[in-house]
Amino acid sequence: MKTRLCLTLATSAVIGLAVAQPAAAKLGSCDDPIVLGTTLSESGVFSTLADRWRNMTKIFAEEVNKRGGIPVKDCNKNLPIEFVIYDDQSVPATAVSLYERLVSVDKVDFLVGPDWSSIGGPVPAVAERHKVPIVMANVATPSIYERGFKYVWGTPAPVVPRWSERYFDMLKNVDPKPKTIYFVTEDNPVMKGITTVWSKKVEDQGLEVVGSEMFSSTQKDFTAVLAKIRSQKPDIIYISSFDGASVPLVQQMAQMQIKAMDIHHTMLTGSLERQVGADIEGWTGELVWYQGVKGDYSDLIDTVLERSNVDMFDYIWTLARLNSYLVMMQAVEKAGAVDREKVKAALYRGTFKSPAGDIVFDENGFPNTGAFTIQLQDGKAVVVWPKDVATAQLRWPATASK
Amino acid sequence: MIEVFLQVLIGGVMLGGLYALVAFGLSLTYGVVHILDFAHGTLLAVIGVIASLLYLAGLNPLWIALILVPCAFAYGGAFYFTLLRPLGARRPFESTVGTVLVTVGALLILSDVTSVLAGATPKNIPTRLGVYLIGDVVIPRMQLAILLATALLTLAIHLVLTRTWFGRAIRAVTQEQVAAQLCGVRSVWLRTMTFAFGAGTVAIAAVLYVLTYPVDPYMGFGLTVKAFTIIILGGIGNLPGALVAGILLGVAEGMTGLYWDTQWAPAISVVLLLVILVVRPQGFSRKTA
Repeated sequence: MKTRLCLTLATSAVIGLAVAQPAAAKLGSCDDPIVLGTTLSESGVFSTLADRWRNMTKIFAEEVNKRGGIPVKDCNKNLPIEFVIYDDQSVPATAVSLYERLVSVDKVDFLVGPDWSSIGGPVPAVAERHKVPIVMANVATPSIYERGFKYVWGTPAPVVPRWSERYFDMLKNVDPKPKTIYFVTEDNPVMKGITTVWSKKVEDQGLEVVGSEMFSSTQKDFTAVLAKIRSQKPDIIYISSFDGASVPLVQQMAQMQIKAMDIHHTMLTGSLERQVGADIEGWTGELVWYQGVKGDYSDLIDTVLERSNVDMFDYIWTLARLNSYLVMMQAVEKAGAVDREKVKAALYRGTFKSPAGDIVFDENGFPNTGAFTIQLQDGKAVVVWPKDVATAQLRWPATASK
Repeated sequence: MIEVFLQVLIGGVMLGGLYALVAFGLSLTYGVVHILDFAHGTLLAVIGVIASLLYLAGLNPLWIALILVPCAFAYGGAFYFTLLRPLGARRPFESTVGTVLVTVGALLILSDVTSVLAGATPKNIPTRLGVYLIGDVVIPRMQLAILLATALLTLAIHLVLTRTWFGRAIRAVTQEQVAAQLCGVRSVWLRTMTFAFGAGTVAIAAVLYVLTYPVDPYMGFGLTVKAFTIIILGGIGNLPGALVAGILLGVAEGMTGLYWDTQWAPAISVVLLLVILVVRPQGFSRKTA
């Protein structure tokens, strides 16, 4: 009796599991949609950066399909796209198992995402093992791409070597010209990388580095740092930090009446503005792209962002995520087939269009993306450099800090 | 350079005043109940987050303190009475391990629940009262007001401890528990009230802290370590000693940032703690309040 009961339960469980599995896609078919598999950090520590992206991704697919889908030469027709999306909970191990599932169970055609270097570190091995091309999104650490993978690309934006390229270009063209700069850097690999790049380069353009301070992400009191900055009276204060970590620094700068020709923050975001308010009025920052700046696919992206209620200033990593979709779409179109090997060949050292300009991959699959320079003017973020895409004129010297 | 030194010195004194305030509650509860409350700093962080949300809802900091202090008082009393008091009936080893588990568990639960409900991003009450400028030295009026409030609070708590029956009972239990009970001090009631009183002072500290620095649900343990350092340096139950110790810690952190590296400033409390334990384990004095 017991054995029969166990057998019945086991059979029911197997049938139940089989029914519960989503239908697997047919690989390379011309009769089915092109299926892209991805994970998003909808819960966990990164969720505040990505909590609207599931809806945005669905709307992206709707809009692409509304515009006719992706032309596939070998099929002699356009194919629609669809996404299989899971929540990686901001946990690398969860992401790895979900990408395994996307490839083995859901049998998606290609992979896009994930975001963040901590998750992007272990995931490429899954794509490589199954020989499925993956275009990761916000995975900015170059060493991840330098491990000899053949199926891995990424669209982080901006990349560390080009983070403030346009800002420093702008400094060459302003009047009065700044002569001194002080770096304040959060102890984080990306932020330290940016400071390392620019503390070497600025001297070539005539800026003297009069100080450099590092602070930990949990630091609350900045009196010593700010006292040193006050004593040096630099023309430019360059803050290389994530937005959340710099909140007390920004507030204490205002409290101690720190003045400079410009205060530049590598992550001038809506979240930072909400926390510190007018303290960052007139400051400059970076934004990969901003609604209103015209470029390839900008109409599509504008519509997607508008429909999904995503503001680039609030969700500054959004374009890198959408670029991973755009690049994969273009790679399929270039390959002319829903074929993993052909798409891999199309991605290798390829050049792809995005609203913020061309994305050019090097031999490791690492891109060359830069960022626009923005300024907070009357509480609104506006693009001020390069001049040809600027949405407002630069206020110089920065209003609040002077 | 003298301006920079003075600026850092003043900043350190102001920061130290806040640290001392954080340590008062821990000093009292450890002195009376002999429980190391690892959730002490986390309670401050959580109350700070709630205070910032109440500020966003339109309340001014004074009203926020008037609302939160009684709530924290009730929470502290209930926390001791329901979770920690029953452990006293167990064998000493079980009781010690149990209190560590309960307070560390409270730390984790308070942090995670607050993070889920209010988010993990730093929050504060961005109030400004302007600054005094003396030469090139800036003294923010808000921080000065907080330092004065801390000094007044130290005086008030000192008066409570020395001039009221409750205070005398606390000091009696701190010095000799059995004799205090023989003199009519109800031990359970006193311990519960001390925990409640300690939580109340944490609420005041939280509102003052969040007026100057952002708080997040996970920052509490670092504050608890600083509070441990202060009570060991100042002497358990010795509030004026705690105030001086807090200021010393604040100045030491500032000077570390000025003459060495800002990144090492938070670690200075641990270094100080170790040095004190080795060189002068009794702190400033053996005398308790």
